[in-house]
Amino acid sequence: MNHPPIPMTTTPASPAPSSATRVVLRPTVDPAALSPGTPLPGWEHRFTEVDLVAYGAATWDWHRVHYDLAYAKSRKLPGVLIDGQVYGAIFAKLATRWAGPGAFLSGMGLKMRSMAFAGDTLRAEGEVRSVESLASGDQVQLSQRLLCGDRLIAEALTTLRFAKR
Amino acid sequence: MSLLTDELRAMIGRRVHYPAREPMGHASIRYFALAIDDDNPVYRDEAYARAAGHADVIAPPTLVCETCQTADRQPDADGYIGHDWHLPVGNSRLIRAGNDYSFERPVLASDWISATWTLESMVEKPSSRGGTQLFVQSVARYTDAEGKLVATNRETLVIQPLGTAG
Repeated sequence: MNHPPIPMTTTPASPAPSSATRVVLRPTVDPAALSPGTPLPGWEHRFTEVDLVAYGAATWDWHRVHYDLAYAKSRKLPGVLIDGQVYGAIFAKLATRWAGPGAFLSGMGLKMRSMAFAGDTLRAEGEVRSVESLASGDQVQLSQRLLCGDRLIAEALTTLRFAKR
Repeated sequence: MSLLTDELRAMIGRRVHYPAREPMGHASIRYFALAIDDDNPVYRDEAYARAAGHADVIAPPTLVCETCQTADRQPDADGYIGHDWHLPVGNSRLIRAGNDYSFERPVLASDWISATWTLESMVEKPSSRGGTQLFVQSVARYTDAEGKLVATNRETLVIQPLGTAG
């Protein structure tokens, strides 16, 4: 008996960018236009259980403290806990979105100041802390903070490098 | 009673290496970007990434420091599958105190990233909740397929005892 051929798995061609499509890059901030105290754009988000599960899944972090309320309460926590590394991801997102594609995030000192839980609304604020011209290009440091009401949740000192102009 | 036992002290300096099991991958990057609601096209659009000077789409900066997948093990009682020193401390909870990240270059979707963790120190300090708590500092170094350093993550976790009523 002849079996039908096994369907071959083919690799679909990547949707190649059309040469007629011109990529328009988002703008990059000009470090020369910055000075200590230049404010960063604000940001606010209410973290839901969906956000916590999405981040846990995207980072292979299945720890119960981020989605299992009974477990969290057994650890004497009032709710399911937002992963502290989310704050670093949010600070990096806000810094790179503001700085544009010509900036490279080279470092971040991230400190957790208090815990936050599903249902909490977090607000980001920050400003330029320093602008330095180095032989390799400009270096800009940002002070960033996440707050829940008046309570400081996390803060970061974030370093961006810009290629030499 | 001191939290920092001789058994724990003996673990300082321990090192574990997790080799890359697959490339970082476009799907992992897009998934992470979706999870943090980051619509930056440099994470999903190859043409955009090339125009921005990269060989491929790149990963959001801190994704490389999220390496639970490298441990490649079944979940423990807490559901956790990532790197863990399995410190012998009784009824307690683990709280993140901070991370110092440094990045040498953007990580590409095509990069194979391995992680090496070192347990650097453990220090017992008074807690504002009464008693003491244990500050555990580790460092993870992430290297590419050529063994070159791409990122460093110095992490401080706090072990807080919950007492017998836990």
